[in-house]
Amino acid sequence: MGSSSSIRAVVVGVGATGARVARQLASSPTVVDVVVRDPEVARVAAVVESMAPQVRSDGADPTDLVDADVVVLAGPVGTHASQAAAWVAAGIPVVSTTDDLGEVDELLALDPVARSNGVGLAVGAGFAPGLSDVLAVHAASRLDQVEEIHVARSGAGGPACARHLLAALGAHALDWRDGQWVRRPGGSGRELVWFPDPIGASDCYRAEMPDARLLVPAFSGVRRVTTRVAARRSQLVTARLPGLHRPPEDGAPGAIRVEVRGVVGGSSATVVMGAMDRPAVAAGAVAAVSALALASGESRRSGAGGLAELLDPLAVLTDLARRGVRCAVFDPSGVGPG
Amino acid sequence: MLRLLRGALVALGVAGLVAGVLRLRNPGTPPVSGGGWRELSGPEMT
Repeated sequence: MGSSSSIRAVVVGVGATGARVARQLASSPTVVDVVVRDPEVARVAAVVESMAPQVRSDGADPTDLVDADVVVLAGPVGTHASQAAAWVAAGIPVVSTTDDLGEVDELLALDPVARSNGVGLAVGAGFAPGLSDVLAVHAASRLDQVEEIHVARSGAGGPACARHLLAALGAHALDWRDGQWVRRPGGSGRELVWFPDPIGASDCYRAEMPDARLLVPAFSGVRRVTTRVAARRSQLVTARLPGLHRPPEDGAPGAIRVEVRGVVGGSSATVVMGAMDRPAVAAGAVAAVSALALASGESRRSGAGGLAELLDPLAVLTDLARRGVRCAVFDPSGVGPG
Repeated sequence: MLRLLRGALVALGVAGLVAGVLRLRNPGTPPVSGGGWRELSGPEMT
């Protein structure tokens, strides 16, 4: 691991999120070298051209190991686990932006290897999961005891992310209820969720997302953890019929909302936090901040885990605010809806 | 009789189609009764 002022990073996958990760890393004063890799050579060339000289390509295959202080995996779903296993085995910290439940499970299974090598493996470092995990920890700091966490998200980082969200709506959601995992049909459980302005109210439904898997280990004694995704009713139909629905355009705004219920001073209390941003932009910043923390040895422990377990929420939120990703709290008695 | 039955089936089909379109459209949302979002800052970030 290099000193905290000379970090060398590798970004694998330069799609909507990966390109933002590279940009965020290149703009960090402690980073001296950012190598980008992607099977699509033209995409790599475009990123290098717009961000040189801080960002460069080494022409290597995405799976080739190289001496680095941290690696960010932002490639397609299904590629993260095998790549993370190789980097972690080489003793290099890894940040994965995946939001696929199966892949998250595969990455979490690398925990013993990561621990034995003394490196961090940050799983689900994006908008949600990712920033939502950090907000859950920050909201929980206002409570004496956490009983329930409910995460909702609106918007997608890019075309691949949008396709994955549609597929998640057609699969079975994973909830944590009274000490056990419960599977519910995706697209069920409609709930009107108020996201930070200007997103506002959206109908949200159950979907196969990994948020509960990443949050439960961080909150001992939590009774319920659920995730919902904003969708139109037409999307619930097309979720089961791939190809019928056109993914939203990259760059459309999105939002997350994290509701934490618990006890403070012997009374029931609820803290709601959220954020509004373009999902790929926010995810890129979250992944970059996570990478810098792991490369600088600032993770709370080694091993695989979500951001709620591995990172200091205040440090992450402060760094994100400096990068333009601002978070909000819902004040039930304060300013009216904007 | 057959004509009446066919007419009824067509009417039911049209009604179902209209109901389906209305259901697929985004429903109106009720206003928030109070409160609102404000940016996390100052002591909330320490």
